[in-house]
Amino acid sequence: MRYLTLLMLFCGIIANAQITETDSVSTVLDEIKVEVAVKKKIETDMKMAVSVDEFLASSDQISFIKRGAYAWEPLLNNMSTERSTLTIDGMHVFGACTDKMDPITSYVESNNLSSIDIKSGQEGSMHGSTVAGSIDLKRKSTPFGLDKKWNGAYQSGFEFNNKQFFNMGNASYSGTKFVADASISYRKAENYSDGNNTEIKHSQYKKFNTSLGMAYKTSELSSVRVDAIFDVAKDVGFPALPMDLWLSRALITSAAYKQLFENGLVRVWDTKVYFNAVEHYMDDTTRPENLVHMDMPGWSTTYGLVSTANLQNNNLSSEIQLNAYTNESIAEMRMYPQDRSKRTMFAYSWPEVTTAYAGLSINNSLGISERSRLNFGGSLGYNYNHSKYVEFNWIFHPGAPQEKSRILPSLHVGYQLTINKFNFSVGGGYGHRAPSVSEGYGYYIYNSFDRYDYIGNPDLKNEISYEVNASAGFKAEKMSIQVKVNYFYIDNYIIGKILSLGSPMNYQSVGVKGYTSLDYATLFNFSLNASYQISDHLHWKGLATYARVMDYNQNNLPFIRPFSYQTSLHYHYKDFHFQTSVNGDFAQINYSPEYGEDETSAYTIWNISADYSFYIKNVKTTFQVGAENLLNEYYSTYADWGNIPRMGRNIFTSLKINF
Amino acid sequence: MRVFNLLSAAFLFVAVTSCTLDKTDYEAEISTEVTEYYEFKEAVAINSGNYKISIEALNGTFYKGYNEIRLKINNTQTNESLNNVEVYFLPIKTNLNGNKTSCPHQYNLIYQNDKNYYSGYAVFTAESNPSDEWQLYVYFTDSAEKVSINTTIQVKQQSNKNLNMTSFVGSDNSEYIISLVAPQKPKVAENELVAGIYRYVEPTNSSETFPDPSQFTFEEVSGYTLQLDPRMPEPSMGNHSSPNNKDLVQLNDKFYHGVVNYTMTGNWTLNFIMLNENGKIIKGTEVSKDFTPGVEGAKSELFIDILF
Repeated sequence: MRYLTLLMLFCGIIANAQITETDSVSTVLDEIKVEVAVKKKIETDMKMAVSVDEFLASSDQISFIKRGAYAWEPLLNNMSTERSTLTIDGMHVFGACTDKMDPITSYVESNNLSSIDIKSGQEGSMHGSTVAGSIDLKRKSTPFGLDKKWNGAYQSGFEFNNKQFFNMGNASYSGTKFVADASISYRKAENYSDGNNTEIKHSQYKKFNTSLGMAYKTSELSSVRVDAIFDVAKDVGFPALPMDLWLSRALITSAAYKQLFENGLVRVWDTKVYFNAVEHYMDDTTRPENLVHMDMPGWSTTYGLVSTANLQNNNLSSEIQLNAYTNESIAEMRMYPQDRSKRTMFAYSWPEVTTAYAGLSINNSLGISERSRLNFGGSLGYNYNHSKYVEFNWIFHPGAPQEKSRILPSLHVGYQLTINKFNFSVGGGYGHRAPSVSEGYGYYIYNSFDRYDYIGNPDLKNEISYEVNASAGFKAEKMSIQVKVNYFYIDNYIIGKILSLGSPMNYQSVGVKGYTSLDYATLFNFSLNASYQISDHLHWKGLATYARVMDYNQNNLPFIRPFSYQTSLHYHYKDFHFQTSVNGDFAQINYSPEYGEDETSAYTIWNISADYSFYIKNVKTTFQVGAENLLNEYYSTYADWGNIPRMGRNIFTSLKINF
Repeated sequence: MRVFNLLSAAFLFVAVTSCTLDKTDYEAEISTEVTEYYEFKEAVAINSGNYKISIEALNGTFYKGYNEIRLKINNTQTNESLNNVEVYFLPIKTNLNGNKTSCPHQYNLIYQNDKNYYSGYAVFTAESNPSDEWQLYVYFTDSAEKVSINTTIQVKQQSNKNLNMTSFVGSDNSEYIISLVAPQKPKVAENELVAGIYRYVEPTNSSETFPDPSQFTFEEVSGYTLQLDPRMPEPSMGNHSSPNNKDLVQLNDKFYHGVVNYTMTGNWTLNFIMLNENGKIIKGTEVSKDFTPGVEGAKSELFIDILF
């Protein structure tokens, strides 16, 4: 019912939008150029209707921890989400689940995004302090005054393995004074089956997502914009965890003002205030094997401001950004004894922790010559934490301060050189990050991967990253090849270590781990991308990645992707497209038993798909059919929580209508 | 403009219907079911001749376990309070067979100059019931007039399990009582744990006239140690314990002070081992430190259960 009402409200708004339509001719703003500067279509080579997770997975810098079929946790440069900044249009949103079952990427849908901006290392410090880099999910934002006023798309599809059925629609209106973007989607999937055709119980999910954005041109050079995303996931199974998700909800809203300047130093000034609220309620009543029923609700509320100015002076262009936000995270554990009439047992796993951050970032790009360019910048941030019920933290850390302030500096520099068909880059960076809420203030957070309860430490030092990166590439008419490497030396690398004190609280766990700082850890990432145009109709692409991550004792750290590869062929003839790809990982020989990992075997999977596009009047329709894991290989990857096997053969079909 | 109104309406709608599961009111959670006693009120008043004796206890009630008491004597003739005299206080329990016993108490009450009352305590070892009757005996002397009075009192059940007590016979064949004094209202936190340890002093001579205080003497033991191992007994909690606890040792106030960490609300068992001043075990056994999910936690021979 609630959806219906919402839907009606949105319809009302769209209907209203038509009335505001005017015919007056107006100059098209430069704004369009700014907004369409980087735009990647949200679809992969193999599949045109993808989830956000699947799309991110196609990036060579991203790998995933998977706890099931839904809400994968993206790892950037083989580092977990604490080390990267995940934002939606620069807005900070924090998940409400202590078990990281709700990364921010799970609160958007592919049809309300236009692109995903991934920056590696300190280059990503624009949106706040980071070590691994930044992932910014860019929402759709239609420019003013397009020739075609109404645009829209409808996608529907069915995936046979987990009977996933999805419907997604989005529409936009572009007037001279008013624009609107709206989207709505619903996905429903049942349990998937692995390569042995065994059903993986508790892997179902349902997700509803809708978004609306509206902008109004207040003058020739200025506009206001309001945006909202509302996302609901229900009945989401996490086969690798002892509990499922009953309901998670996010409301992500913002209001922005943008001012352009025709001349002068400042070209664009964009200021946005935002608010988002995330709720996450876990449920273990569907798991009869549980000895004790436990509720684990979590809430995360964030208010923030982001203000960006783009400056241009001769061959120097700069971007200055002010970020400020305050987040409150609360998570509870409420256990019920077998005799439910007895009193419940209660504790906070996040004892009402406030995180406030304010920082100023700058990125400069200086054109030295036609061939070379110097990028440099940095940020200075102030991070403040407050734990309302600090007595929880005192149990393991007596006398820990209730409040903690940190200064988080960041610097980066990079040099790019292009000589004919060759390009090179070298760069370096230095930056601090503050511990996350869980790392600082978490209390008995159960990690089902290594089966330990984790305790935060409010006194953890800042994690300090020193990084170098380099790339070399060659690009000719028919072929391209690009090699990228980066190396991080991270001081005070935060990770959980076994505590000799205390005993577990969750009955599945085997002990207690406390977040501690390692002296240091080193990370090395390598990627190779290549493509070749075999003929006008046939195109080849290849990708290989390798990473090696060790602590100060040369021991392996967990969740590091072994050597992985992907090779794909793409053939098109008129309106037909065929593509096939093979991808896989080598065996994970550098695993970390200390952190609950075992050796994961190598696997290779083969995917294939075909699509056909046709026009009915002006409406472009594309139909696609394909199969993932065609050979029904039984496998699990290095990052599958609890070695949960991945999906077996999955035949997918989808239909997309653009109008 | 209408658009924005609609939009705000949509936001408001979502915001209003937003919270499905209410957040726990933690402060209410730890206070509602644990009664806190903080106000002294008159628990019993005795009129005898020219004197009115008023005995105050927390909440105006005597509970099983530790009770701090305040005694006031008023001369009803002169309407003046009687200050700074020797006052003796003796609680006596009589059972159905007529056996009379006492409980740990302060026999010689201490006059508090600045507060105009006599202070002491009693650790009632049982609730009043048809088979156990409690009587208080009070003696004092006012300008050579000896006053001796007694009255029956009601000792009620202590509903706050954080103030539980236990009595036992130790390996030295003495009768001991351990009574929890604080915290009344524990938190999921480090809590200072305060207990009184008392021993019955066997009389050396036989009784003369009743009531003979030498037959009913208890003492606060000195120099003992109460080793502490708190655990959650629920099977689902698998013998869960907490870190950084401290054994109880005696401080100047005669009470035994230690630290207990409660990691969550619920049922806890304080497992004790009591050592005398020479380090000899008087009572108590080591409990398993293993994590045993699904099995009810085993308790020490000497324990007190609490709940908050």
